[in-house]
Amino acid sequence: MGTNIIKVDKNFFRYISNIQLKLISVFIAFTLICMILGFFFGSFDISIKKFVHGNLSQLEKEILYQIRMPRVLLSAFVGAALGLAGACLQGLFRNPLADPGLIGVSAGAALGAVLSIVIFSNLLEHHFLGIYLLPISSVTGALFVILILYSLSKGFIYDGVTYMLLIGIAINALASVGIGILTFVSDDAQLRGLTFWMMGSFANAQWNLVIPSIFLILISIIWIIPQSRKIDIIQIGELEASRLGINVIKLKFIVIMSSAIMVGVSVSISGMIGFIGLVIPHLVRLIGGVNHNYLLIGSAFLGSSLLVLSDILSRITIQPAELPVGLVTSAIGAPFFLWLVLRIKKS
Amino acid sequence: MSIEIKDVRYVVNDNCLLDKISFDINPGEITTILGPNGAGKSTLIKLISGDMKPSSGEILYDKILLNKLTLENKSHRRSVLSQSQNINFDFTVRDIVEMGWINDLNNNFEKILNEISKECSIEDIIERKFRYLSGGEQKRVHLARTLLHIKSIDNIYENKYILLDEPLANLDIFYEFKLIKIIRKLAKNGLGILMILHDINLAYKFSNKIALMLDGKVKYFGNPEKVLNKKNLEKIYGLKMKIFSKPFFIKYY
Repeated sequence: MGTNIIKVDKNFFRYISNIQLKLISVFIAFTLICMILGFFFGSFDISIKKFVHGNLSQLEKEILYQIRMPRVLLSAFVGAALGLAGACLQGLFRNPLADPGLIGVSAGAALGAVLSIVIFSNLLEHHFLGIYLLPISSVTGALFVILILYSLSKGFIYDGVTYMLLIGIAINALASVGIGILTFVSDDAQLRGLTFWMMGSFANAQWNLVIPSIFLILISIIWIIPQSRKIDIIQIGELEASRLGINVIKLKFIVIMSSAIMVGVSVSISGMIGFIGLVIPHLVRLIGGVNHNYLLIGSAFLGSSLLVLSDILSRITIQPAELPVGLVTSAIGAPFFLWLVLRIKKS
Repeated sequence: MSIEIKDVRYVVNDNCLLDKISFDINPGEITTILGPNGAGKSTLIKLISGDMKPSSGEILYDKILLNKLTLENKSHRRSVLSQSQNINFDFTVRDIVEMGWINDLNNNFEKILNEISKECSIEDIIERKFRYLSGGEQKRVHLARTLLHIKSIDNIYENKYILLDEPLANLDIFYEFKLIKIIRKLAKNGLGILMILHDINLAYKFSNKIALMLDGKVKYFGNPEKVLNKKNLEKIYGLKMKIFSKPFFIKYY
């Protein structure tokens, strides 16, 4: 009897309907279309016809391969990371209003980034490792917050979710104090860098930063997707899930660690991009259902496509200048969020 | 083969919540825990289901120490119904019940699911959203999930146990009666059942063994006829009791 070892998530595709599979293919197609649009449109349009015929000018090639492609790829992966992290955390905390910002991870990452902008601003430009300094210190900030969460909630024990949210609020407050002080002591140039970073932008995407970021995000995605069914089951309660044989503590560890990595990387490279993590999972649920096998993948692709679109918008609305992409996502996301809250209240 | 509880003690912050608990839960029998609020009934269920470890003493499932069983192993031996939590997303009743299925999906799945849905009278609400159901309906759904869990392993009942923490709360008398019948049938099929009840008369009628708990101790344990007498009950509940013998009925005032 003890020999038939049973894994709950063995039947991945059993818990996803045919309609949902079709929806996911639509999301994927939509993402690809958005990315292609992103490659060719901007303050400088590149002709798709010329690209297909292979007779782009040197300048156009330069723009396409060195500026547009890394930028679009980065925004696609950051969108996927934020959407997915939002969906996972909402599932784990069993709270439709949870978001990476809520448990303080984004704030930790932001504090790390701000710290590197203000304190190490000389190194940022001159040292050969300079461009990695901000991402590293930002991911460190995110991991540091996770470490605090982990030790204060005694290793993510059962029913510590409310507790963890409260700790998150405290961490958020502390981080904003830190950011406030650093902003206060910064000089004009640093302040300008800070402000732009905080509003979020993909304008500085370069291949040497994009590739490691994509790599980290991809690893987190691969780590977390197989946990989908377990996140479903945890909806009936942590204790109940553990009685069904699920190692809830391990599940929490995986979800929180991978979300922290995804959010830390995203924040470091593109600043605070609001509302993707909160709004995308709701949109995906509205379209096709609540089970996480569908929701996680769907949120990744829809987050990806919508962030690429937002980035295109940010590039073309006030040409030749650029709108920070964080403004665009918040401008679209906030009203949607409000509608969502009102809808929840009604039901 | 049985669950043996041997001299179990559970202490939190120098507070002794359970002390000197010893009894067995046998297959094919319904064992009922009765007792006032705060007697430690739910804590005992949590210890027996293996959610927490006793401070001292041991619990054995079929001669195997509960502490030595993995989460997965425990899930193969017992299913538990407890006071459930809110569900915040639009999962359907079917989704929730299916979560109880811990085996690979095989041909039995649909058959057993339908059987249980019929038994728990949830066929009509199976496509509805769980979170908009009434308390009693939600209870029935969780009960169906608990039953599916224990039946999902290999559809036999030997050496398997169900622990029910107030299964009748929120149910109207129709479903109360129906549920008791389901539980009796499970016991007849060889399942060991432990449940917490508050209705002394129901407990008398349907239990094989009764544990009367007070202040973290099992004060009296044994057959209903032996345990449920005026003296014991008055001591446990602090109420005056009157016992009628034909038909058997306990009145308190």
